[in-house]
Amino acid sequence: MKRSEKRDRLVVTAVAAFCCLGVVMGGVGAFAADINLDDFDHQGRKIYVASDETPAFFMSAESGDRNLAGFYSLRQYPGSPPWIPHPVDLTFSGDETDCLSCHAKGGYSQEFGKFVPITPHPENILCYQCHAQVTTEELFVKTDWKSIDPPRLGRPFLGGSPPPIPHSLQLRENCIACHTGPGAVVEIRVAHAARGNCRQCHVPALQTAPMQEFHRK
Amino acid sequence: MKLDRRQFIQRAAATSAVATAGAMFPGISFGDWPKLTGNSGMVSWQKAPCRFCGTGCGVLVGVSDGKAVAVKGDPNCSVNKGLCCMKGYHSVQALYGSDRLKKAQVRKNGQMVEVPIQEALDLVAEKLQQTKDKHGKDSVAIYGSGQWTIPDGYVASKLFKGCLGTNNVEANARLCMASAVTGFMTSFGIDEPMGCYEDMDHANVFITWGNNMAEMHPVLFSRMLANRKRRTNVQIIDFATRMTRTSQAADKSIFFKPQTDLAVANAICYEIIANDWVNWNFVGEHVSFHKGKTNIGYGTEDHFAFTDKAESIDFEEFKTFLADYTPEKVEKISGVSAKDIKYMAALYGDPSVKVTSFWCMGMNQHTRGTWINNLVYNIHLLTGKISTPGNSPFSLTGQPSACGTVREVGTLTHKLPHGVVMKEAHRKMAAEIWEVPVENIDPKPTYHTVEMFRALDRGDIKFIWIQVTNPMVTMPNLKRYRDGALKDDRFVVVSDVYPTPTTDIADVILPAAMWIEQEGMFGNSERRTQHFAQIVDPPGDAMSDTWQIIEVARRLGFEKQFPWSEKDYIEKIWEEYRRFHSGPKHEMAPYSVLSERSGVQWPFVNGKETRWRFNPKYDPACTNGKDFDFYGKKDNRAWIWARPYEPAAESPDSEYPFWLNTGRVIEHWHTGSMTRRVPVLHNAVPSSYVELHPEDAAELGVVNGEKVKIISRRGEIIMPAQINGRGVPPQGMVFVPFFDESYLINEVTLDAFCPISKQPDYKKCAVRLEKA
Repeated sequence: MKRSEKRDRLVVTAVAAFCCLGVVMGGVGAFAADINLDDFDHQGRKIYVASDETPAFFMSAESGDRNLAGFYSLRQYPGSPPWIPHPVDLTFSGDETDCLSCHAKGGYSQEFGKFVPITPHPENILCYQCHAQVTTEELFVKTDWKSIDPPRLGRPFLGGSPPPIPHSLQLRENCIACHTGPGAVVEIRVAHAARGNCRQCHVPALQTAPMQEFHRK
Repeated sequence: MKLDRRQFIQRAAATSAVATAGAMFPGISFGDWPKLTGNSGMVSWQKAPCRFCGTGCGVLVGVSDGKAVAVKGDPNCSVNKGLCCMKGYHSVQALYGSDRLKKAQVRKNGQMVEVPIQEALDLVAEKLQQTKDKHGKDSVAIYGSGQWTIPDGYVASKLFKGCLGTNNVEANARLCMASAVTGFMTSFGIDEPMGCYEDMDHANVFITWGNNMAEMHPVLFSRMLANRKRRTNVQIIDFATRMTRTSQAADKSIFFKPQTDLAVANAICYEIIANDWVNWNFVGEHVSFHKGKTNIGYGTEDHFAFTDKAESIDFEEFKTFLADYTPEKVEKISGVSAKDIKYMAALYGDPSVKVTSFWCMGMNQHTRGTWINNLVYNIHLLTGKISTPGNSPFSLTGQPSACGTVREVGTLTHKLPHGVVMKEAHRKMAAEIWEVPVENIDPKPTYHTVEMFRALDRGDIKFIWIQVTNPMVTMPNLKRYRDGALKDDRFVVVSDVYPTPTTDIADVILPAAMWIEQEGMFGNSERRTQHFAQIVDPPGDAMSDTWQIIEVARRLGFEKQFPWSEKDYIEKIWEEYRRFHSGPKHEMAPYSVLSERSGVQWPFVNGKETRWRFNPKYDPACTNGKDFDFYGKKDNRAWIWARPYEPAAESPDSEYPFWLNTGRVIEHWHTGSMTRRVPVLHNAVPSSYVELHPEDAAELGVVNGEKVKIISRRGEIIMPAQINGRGVPPQGMVFVPFFDESYLINEVTLDAFCPISKQPDYKKCAVRLEKA
């Protein structure tokens, strides 16, 4: 009861948000400096752009529409491109108007009755290059494939210290896209997105890579 | 303490996750997630080229507990700069299909029986020797592929051409790249593109010639799209016979009738000359004009032979030849409006616009494949738009090492690692490096691929060893060749990683190591050699194709030519092979450099890669002191060819009124033996279908998913219709993806080929349709 009231309020907020989000997440080019480093670690500017352009009320909005279980069920292994979990037209061209009209900006989808997850890499516009449109669940032959575990959450180095970033930043440089707003997965949503400079406190530390220790030579 | 906490969190997360996922996604097993037990949880990353197409993306393979578990795009690789396509991202899953071949099998009393691999190799060597002794050296053959690693192809050529003395060495790249090679050889005298992928960051206009890049080379296509988005003056023209995802993304699509690309290319040249858009400085300095034979046939009969003869002509004769190809005349042949022809000509002709043309199977699988390659070069040569950043006629490849293994190592009947068997100097060089008597190398080529399978059917070939390819899905006019291979005294050895329709006809199956289960090198479309280390172990008895050949060679008494140890044989083979290409035109990087970098472009001279050939700013092989040096040809010029329009081998008529076109989809690669074992790719496109134009479907009375019978003069097949799907053929054409072994569309196709390249045309034959 309480939850549905909250939801209704959110829909209104989100529709409003959707209307004024016209330029959100797109304007990376304005920040492009002369030094153009292709290195994914150097694309942190996307965080500032997204942070600047996303209204605070959108960042803090919450829906509970998506959780980690659903998130991983679309992936073959942590970090693989998710398949498309909803029907798309047979003539699916995957161009900007088809996918990015929703997934660039986010907002509430009347069609699916949910808030839309936002892609962290809207500059890649050939969406079906990586994201498959699945039509069956049957396999051609059985597979012996086994995935590794997804990274576990939280796990700060010290009690109360900021948790590290447990995944590679490649194609996921924009923290704001996935970790804030009503489309975010509830378990990984952050409550303090308005602080903007995520990597001030959170460092990439892949749980799946060996810990590097400092030794003075 | 740490472990306890970890286990607790793991269990808690898994339990709630399984419950939730089960409710949200019925049928999808989220319980599979924590399956990899006992692993340390650590993932290490190692570089490799992608296993699939000829783009040659760099990938980083994540390994945990001895298993490949994840893929990232390699940010250090200039090909893809950290991005992959759906096949690349899931490529490691192709290693783990449950029906992986792990044991050798031999046919005993009609049944395939598992045996130790050494026993199977004994049998292969014994049969090979027996057949050669009884029926002569040309009764044994090896058929490989553009998925052979460079060492695979090199040892195959060394054993068969150098030691056994037969030129019965072919590869499936004959079915995919032969016309590109003959196109390069006839126009430039040296194989492989002059440009590189960096052209995409400079060009203003991209013209795709019968090339659905959005699905077939998606990583390159998305780089084009990114350029169009970032720069204001970029456009993409899709010149096609069928509406595809590339058409959807292009700024303009221009549709032509099958085979008439020949006429349109000539009409573009006509317009360029008529409007005086010719780059006279360039043409005067760097181009010479030629014509060859016409009415050259289609090769549908056994023992078909053809040799072209070049004759010099002058510019005026070329201009006269083009008089038949005014845009107005060509409009009638091609269905392309004169206005659109003039539009394309104006793009090529505008000196302020940089143009890159891309093509792949549309132009290569063509009974005039060599000609259409020549004709597109003609356009770039008349306008001088070549060998400079952004101006690039670019022939793409479909296999990861079609260039590296087949074109550079020369695993084709007429080729040697350097040059051709017909030339004495080239035979001498090979004999010296291979340490075999020069008389061993036969100066006469034997069979190209189609003729090789015809020879197997006729009985001229009795023993064939097939590695890393699936000809019992891919040969055109398939039924004849399958029946031929199954004849009583034929002996077929197949090295592969999964059961396929080709292992079904085998007398011996050898389990092969796949991709990163062995060390090797691939060579991609832009002259880039890419080394990969062995990253995981092969399963069971599986062995690299290179080592299988070495084992057999030693059993045949060629220990001297195959002396290497399993520890470093790839390095030793590479350093031996590299001697064939020494010199500034084709110098290859040493092993130490290849193993460090995410691919190295040849010519690799004085520690530097060559991005644009024939241009002295970039290419140290240019020595003539001019602004370009087309050093491949003796006259130091690139050749423009007068090549006419001639019709297809078989065109629709009243009895068989439809064109049949075949090809691929983004999800599946070639015959699907790997991609169909990747769950998400199979789930996306689980079976093949026939694309119909909606009007044709209505006429036939079928709706989406209903069965259609496709009948040609060779065979018939019943498959589900797809109407208004991702691809839409024009009225009068149907399109069928060939990946699905349940629907062998090649039983319907025609084995006509380009008489110069001997590459079959999978894009054009005549069929009729019935509602099934």
